[in-house]
Amino acid sequence: MERRDFIKISALSGVMATLEGCRSAEKQLIRFVPEEELVPGIATWKPSVCTLCSAGCGLLVRVMQGEAEVVRRGQQGLIKMGLAKKLEGNPQHPINRGKLCARGQAGLQVLYHPDRITHPIKRTGARGSGEFQEISWDDALKELAAHLTTLQTSNSANALAFLARPLHGQRHELVERFLKAYGAPPAVWYQPFDEAVLRQANLLSFGHAALPTFDLGRADYVISFGADFLGTWNSAVAQSIGYGEMRQGRPGRRAKFVQVESRMSQTGANTDEWIPCRPGTEGALALGIAHVILSEKLAPQGAGSRAGSLIAGWSAGLPDFTPEAVEKQTGVSAAVIKRLAHELTQSGSAVAMVGGAPLAHTNGLFNALAVNALESLVDAGRDQGQILGFTPVLQPAIPAQASLASLTAFAQSALSGQPHAPQVLLLYEANPIFSAPPGLRIREALAKVPTIVSFGNFIDETSAQADLILPDHAPLESWLDSMPESGSLQAVASLAPPAVLPLHDTRSMPDVLLGLAHQLGGEVAKALPWATYDAMLRAAYVPLRTRGGSVDAKTDDDFWDAAQTQGGWWSTPSTAHSPEVAVAKHAPVSPAAPEFAGAAGDFPFYFLPYVSQSFGDGSLAHLPWLQELPDVLTSAMWSSWVEINPKTGDRLGIKQGDLVEIASPQGSVRAAAVLSPGIAPDMVAMPVGQGHENFSRFASGRGANPLSILAPLAEHETGSLAWAATRVKLVRAGGPEQAKLVLFAGGMSAFPHQEERR
Amino acid sequence: MRIPMGWRKWLLMILAGVSVWALLEIVLPRQRMRASGPPAYVTTGVFTPAHPTAAAAVKDFLDIHPEHPVQPIAYTHTVHLAKGLPCTFCHVGVDQGPEARIPGVTVCMSCHQSIATDRPEIKKIAAYKARGEEIPWVRVYNYSQSAHVRFNHAPHIRAGVDCAMCHSDMTKQTTAERKVDLNMGFCINCHTQKKVSIDCETCHY
Amino acid sequence: MAHKWGMVVDLDRCTGCEACVVACHAENNIPTVGEDQAARGRAKHWIRVERYWEGDFPNPKIRFQPVLCQQCDEAPCEPVCPTYASNHTPEGLNSQVYNRCIGTRFCANACPYSVRFFNFYNPQWDMPLQLQLNPDVSVRSVGIMEKCTFCVQRIKAAEIQAEAEKRELKDGEFNTACAQSCASKALVFGDLNDPNSEVARLSSSNRGTKLLGELGTKPNVTYLERGTWEDASHG
Repeated sequence: MERRDFIKISALSGVMATLEGCRSAEKQLIRFVPEEELVPGIATWKPSVCTLCSAGCGLLVRVMQGEAEVVRRGQQGLIKMGLAKKLEGNPQHPINRGKLCARGQAGLQVLYHPDRITHPIKRTGARGSGEFQEISWDDALKELAAHLTTLQTSNSANALAFLARPLHGQRHELVERFLKAYGAPPAVWYQPFDEAVLRQANLLSFGHAALPTFDLGRADYVISFGADFLGTWNSAVAQSIGYGEMRQGRPGRRAKFVQVESRMSQTGANTDEWIPCRPGTEGALALGIAHVILSEKLAPQGAGSRAGSLIAGWSAGLPDFTPEAVEKQTGVSAAVIKRLAHELTQSGSAVAMVGGAPLAHTNGLFNALAVNALESLVDAGRDQGQILGFTPVLQPAIPAQASLASLTAFAQSALSGQPHAPQVLLLYEANPIFSAPPGLRIREALAKVPTIVSFGNFIDETSAQADLILPDHAPLESWLDSMPESGSLQAVASLAPPAVLPLHDTRSMPDVLLGLAHQLGGEVAKALPWATYDAMLRAAYVPLRTRGGSVDAKTDDDFWDAAQTQGGWWSTPSTAHSPEVAVAKHAPVSPAAPEFAGAAGDFPFYFLPYVSQSFGDGSLAHLPWLQELPDVLTSAMWSSWVEINPKTGDRLGIKQGDLVEIASPQGSVRAAAVLSPGIAPDMVAMPVGQGHENFSRFASGRGANPLSILAPLAEHETGSLAWAATRVKLVRAGGPEQAKLVLFAGGMSAFPHQEERR
Repeated sequence: MRIPMGWRKWLLMILAGVSVWALLEIVLPRQRMRASGPPAYVTTGVFTPAHPTAAAAVKDFLDIHPEHPVQPIAYTHTVHLAKGLPCTFCHVGVDQGPEARIPGVTVCMSCHQSIATDRPEIKKIAAYKARGEEIPWVRVYNYSQSAHVRFNHAPHIRAGVDCAMCHSDMTKQTTAERKVDLNMGFCINCHTQKKVSIDCETCHY
Repeated sequence: MAHKWGMVVDLDRCTGCEACVVACHAENNIPTVGEDQAARGRAKHWIRVERYWEGDFPNPKIRFQPVLCQQCDEAPCEPVCPTYASNHTPEGLNSQVYNRCIGTRFCANACPYSVRFFNFYNPQWDMPLQLQLNPDVSVRSVGIMEKCTFCVQRIKAAEIQAEAEKRELKDGEFNTACAQSCASKALVFGDLNDPNSEVARLSSSNRGTKLLGELGTKPNVTYLERGTWEDASHG
């Protein structure tokens, strides 16, 4: 080619390239004057509190200046503001001591989530259609106040309902006071995996209606009955810190860890010995071990008598729980039962704990009391280093009412109109349409409520039914406080101001309620005399100044400043027992076998929906970091799956990755099959969290929801949902192309990329 | 090699043009649009490290940048430095962290609410402040995005490097000008002379 | 003495919680690739927790193993890079210089630990998720290889701070994102050349092994073997 022509061709290409550049210029956004002074490039660390689970870990938020696109005074523009860049544990906080779990780390994505509701909206289309239009805060608040005033003037204050996930700290107090002064029934505090059974058991066995705190760093032997204490149960970070200590934190001394469960969990993966046990029979196993200890006198005389007295037959040495009898019930061999009894009592400091699936049976309370009795038999008194303890209580104990019972009562009142039909429902971050058993007919019940107002900051299955949404700030934009009920033997009151300024046109829910209270006047205004939430917090927490502890301040103002800067107040560590609550005498509980929904003939498999390491109870499925986090046992991402034993797979012609359908008497779901050696051949398990029909762009229409096929069976005494008591049948429904299982780890085949989605 | 002239030449040129256009269409980022569009109460838009246009990419690659960009306010360093203002009065944090930063309009008004208030440029600044708007300064100094370089001012200031070394004599500039060619060789030369690390990871990470 | 950064992974402490994986994503601007790309094996987890199953029900055993860039002294990824984008720093890090990378992917091919991740497409963040991006870390564009850097931005920040205060770096003064979040303290990071550092002490443990050490890569990450029941004390 001649040079000239080469140049002509290049020139033409260059012109094309430049023409591409002549697209319409980016719209020029105005830059607002910053609302705070920050030095760019330099981070400040602000204390905060993690609100994603009940553990209440203390956070430090890394805040740096950045530029965000915002709407101010109705105009779109850019503003330099403090942006949260990273979350770390607060090293001073007694519960998590500078550490943070995977979900806590991912909580950062809630603040900057693309599907956060950015301003108040009002429904324009049919309920659930997703058609909303923007309204101003003034109008939204007027409308809400109008609804509440109408109820008051028509003498129907009891037709106001409040449905929320359990709130911590003064938010709980605020809502309860508001409702009481208003004349409405108490709030319905709902979460699918509540701990009502364990709280009741601990109240009866130990005098504390609370979740337990473990000093695992002192243990030589830990036996856990179903408690996923290193993953999702109770105060997982605090427990993991203790676990590290008990393994390799004391030179020459390494604790043994045994897990008893029916499906290998993330926690169970770390055991020295893993003991599979038939579902619902964990209590019988604990009593089998106790029988050996009692009959061979392996524990001091009189040990465990208080908790033991709650079990029928204890004083006679549990004659019905010989190792041979227990072997028949549980599937655990008599030899193992005897050996465990000896190991537990010969191992220095031992602890037995129970949580998770064993409590989610119709005999859950019995299982809990049985393990508590074993625990009190083997865990020596405080002077010799007791491992199980209870956090000193700072506020009156939250009544241990099971979520399911109060939700059922609410649904019934909406469906039947008895005792009175709710007219106005205030909703805050509870998602019963997703997580409650279908037998409760929540969707139908909500359809009967004339007015639904939501304060949550995301559209999910339940808030999609709202008529009016007044979005709350994200947690990092809010005043946060919490009084964790477990995780540390120090009394802890976490407290933190907002770490960042609000990004969107949202308002703090407590502030909205307080404003409403003021507007309503009368008793409500009297019960809540504060203009803002931080004023209420100040009034609540400043009295702690006189208790000494982690804040040394001479005046209330100093205390308030110092507590905020530290991230809260905590008591000095003490060896004193926290006082027990007086308990009415409870008759000894007779052993009860677990009941299941679904006849064993038609529904041959036990079904275990388990709390997901990534999504918790499903409320975190909207976070992309967690969707892409490979499940640690299967490496699955962005997927739902059903764990089945390889022998079951052989028998039913199911291969890894095939689509399977599991059906209970309540319904069926489909998901990919994962062959796992960690589950019994007569059991299938599924993680909770996926299967949202409407929950952000990342979780909507993805996977299947195991909670949607649960029978509404309840634990006998507490009424808590027995989520492990459903039976299912299993059938192959398609191949891997239909199941679309996404795994991070490659298959074990020689050519993993051939014909296979990894 | 000779290619025959005539219609084939034109065909080649058109093909080249179309190929370039097609390539750019594929490579350029697009706003993610869903079938029904996202609802109005959520945030839309996608952030990527891609250059916004092909022109921007070409300029970045060839390091084409304006030497003396036009600024919205006719600021003059000469006058302010002559009055004895230290650099760090406005460029706060340059000795503490990576960025020197342009001061916000509040900093300007801290003096200019009372000084020289009759000048038209000062009136402009006051108007911005009154509207709650920052002055839309045009960035002068930057590294090519694809250089992935993390420059940190603070160690340089602490080491006693004079601002004029990289920004040339500001007392002779009105608005900032890029008089010094800040290419990698410039950095390496000084680092070698001062016996500071020239390992890649010192700046590129 | 010059620093030599290293890490210890105590397999007896690791619980498989994966806090390290998410912490790393948050700190290092790692993009989420989405379901389709993840199905093609392109998810970028600079640190991952592997699982190894043994045996069948009712005696299954499973072991967790966090794997990250081993920052090998004899890194196989370094000699194969035609542009010197993968090179070794005086402080013992295998550095990835993003602007030099032309995307041949020879380094990922050579790495026996599969810890290198390539940006096949320009990463995307649905706005305003990009507000969370760490300004101290590059946002990698298409055609660039990336991997664990031992949080080099934190190393640099700490070194600059120590220099400003005219003192030596203290052990434990700063940490990588993964080790900082690890509740059971399975991950320990520090200066192997500091004889008083935690990592130096643990690296010489008799439980210590190197991952694929027989390949001669000389990794700077030491894995401490998981204990067994026989190791447990009877108090």
